[in-house]
Amino acid sequence: MNKSHKYKPLSFRTLFLILGLLFIFLLIADLLLGSVIVPLKQIYFSIFPSAETNETFRTIIVDFRFPKAFTAILTGMALSVSGLQMQTVFRNPLAGPYVLGISAGASLGVALFVLGFSSVISFGVVSITGAWSLATVAWIGSFLVMILVLYVSTHVNDVTTILILGMLFTSAVSAIVSILQYFSSESMLKAFVIWTMGSLGSVTNAQLTVMATAVFLGILLAFFKIKDLNAFLLGENYARSLGVKIVSSRVLIFASTSLLAGTVTAFCGPIGFIGIAVPHICRVIFRTSDHIILMPAVIITGSIVMLFSDIISQLPGMQTTLPINSVTAIIGIPVIVWMIVKNKKFDSV
Amino acid sequence: MNETGFDIELKNLSVGYERNRIQLEILKGIGFSASPGEMVALIGSNGIGKSTLLRTLAGFQEYFSGNIKINGQELSTIDTKEIARVISFVSTENISVANMTVFDLVAFGRFPYTNWIGRLTYHDKQKVSMAIHKVGLDKFENRYIIQLSDGERQRAMIARALAQDTPVIILDEPTAFLDVSNKYEIFHLLQLLAKEKNKTIIVSTHDLNIALREVDKLWIITETGNYQGAPEDAVLNSWLEKLFKNENIGFDIQEGEYFFKKKFKANVKVEGEGLSLIWTLRALNRTGYKLVMKAEHDFTVIAGDKTWTFQKGNNHEEFNSIYELLLFLERK
Repeated sequence: MNKSHKYKPLSFRTLFLILGLLFIFLLIADLLLGSVIVPLKQIYFSIFPSAETNETFRTIIVDFRFPKAFTAILTGMALSVSGLQMQTVFRNPLAGPYVLGISAGASLGVALFVLGFSSVISFGVVSITGAWSLATVAWIGSFLVMILVLYVSTHVNDVTTILILGMLFTSAVSAIVSILQYFSSESMLKAFVIWTMGSLGSVTNAQLTVMATAVFLGILLAFFKIKDLNAFLLGENYARSLGVKIVSSRVLIFASTSLLAGTVTAFCGPIGFIGIAVPHICRVIFRTSDHIILMPAVIITGSIVMLFSDIISQLPGMQTTLPINSVTAIIGIPVIVWMIVKNKKFDSV
Repeated sequence: MNETGFDIELKNLSVGYERNRIQLEILKGIGFSASPGEMVALIGSNGIGKSTLLRTLAGFQEYFSGNIKINGQELSTIDTKEIARVISFVSTENISVANMTVFDLVAFGRFPYTNWIGRLTYHDKQKVSMAIHKVGLDKFENRYIIQLSDGERQRAMIARALAQDTPVIILDEPTAFLDVSNKYEIFHLLQLLAKEKNKTIIVSTHDLNIALREVDKLWIITETGNYQGAPEDAVLNSWLEKLFKNENIGFDIQEGEYFFKKKFKANVKVEGEGLSLIWTLRALNRTGYKLVMKAEHDFTVIAGDKTWTFQKGNNHEEFNSIYELLLFLERK
């Protein structure tokens, strides 16, 4: 077909195949690399125990690295999908869960929960009810911000205002959190500061169950809204004239975004730049605006980027790890700068 | 494939905005109608409420009182999804989405007919290609919309409305940012579609000169009253003059054009024939000379085939172009 010949040198299928292989490669690398470097064949022996299985390596892979890699994948998917949704709904390439203050809303929920009720933190880490409570406060926080954003967006027809509001809200949250920190005990403070740096490794199995369920639901909801998201590209008027029920559609999309961004923030801390950068990377690679392609594209690309970030953060061969949100910022910001300078496509979604 | 058309009837309609539970009425007592196969131009001065009326007609906002009957059915009782199969809408808004091709854009027209994920069937794709062909963008089908000119993009938006396959199309100033030839093309295209597909097309515009030549009916909103009828009725009943509060703007009932009333510098008598005469008259009129036939005149201009002669008493001057003649008159 000459359509794909002129503008799309690689078909969507080929691109997905390449990304899929890259995903598998990085997943294996993430399991092998770290302070201890595990030989490749031990992955096989960990899954299918035999005489050659090294119990130490098996423990490292099954109990530590696999949950961490799985968390990375869930985080990448969730943040990228919520970023894509926000960029489309607001028709602004700078929108994302972090910029709009959705992550900050979740942070505030977590901060009030962890620092306000100092007795629950230990309980939150291990038990399933604790994990659910932590997630719930984050969802409430992010959803309240989303409602605020929704309210403002129906009254102010200017996206820049909404983005500035998001930034102000983020600042306000960090101010409140500082005050809470001032009044909290030293141990609580340490736990909270570590949380703010972001970590994929501290997620417990109980939390992982909650996280996987919530991310799955959020992405499922996003898939049901693919058609409406496409219509939102043309703006509210056109979307309505095509039969989209604007308010209910927006509420569902925002619910999906809050669920996704809130969950990740609850368990891994505020992680920025993935939500903005990944949808852009996908638009450059796939050269389409159709969410039927973009949605799976950001899911796989987001996973890849987070796996890559995780490999960097655990500094293979060394005993220390870096905070994950510093790594995503270091990877994400150059991508955004490069896109602004090189493609000049930044003025449109 | 001649669709059965839908007629539109507005009865004693009141429209406006609702802010903080207070209704701000913008237009009231509107009574207009349009029939299938008709192209209607909605005209009125800036800020009088044309867009509000069209947005209400498209089902974007509720109306306060009165009726909007689409094919006999009250608009407020029709579901959003159903409206999408009855009315399509084109605005002046510039759509710039990266990586979206003309085909993708026009395919949005099939939105009300596709399944939950928006998959296009063979039939849908055919409708899209046909709509693109109708507006003459065949060669641009796979081009990205951000690479199109304003005129091409507006045609693509019209193709999108066509692909939506609705009996009624509403367009809010579709020609606002286009050059003259593109304006004519768009109007002509819409007129063609109205006739060929028996569609009811309602378009708001400020391009009166074009509207007067192309549309079947005018809906005129003025401060003092609303009128509807053929463009020629509007001219003969001097409805168009009511559009302007500015006394310096008049409507030339002969030419069917607006003109700006000027203070004349001098009276001039012009002799000559053919095209040369017509355009010499226009030039003198434009630069502020009153054209007189027999009455008192300050000087005479003779429009020849290639030369123009200025005559005043015994004073004769010859010029090779209208420009030179005007330059001479200016200096005097």
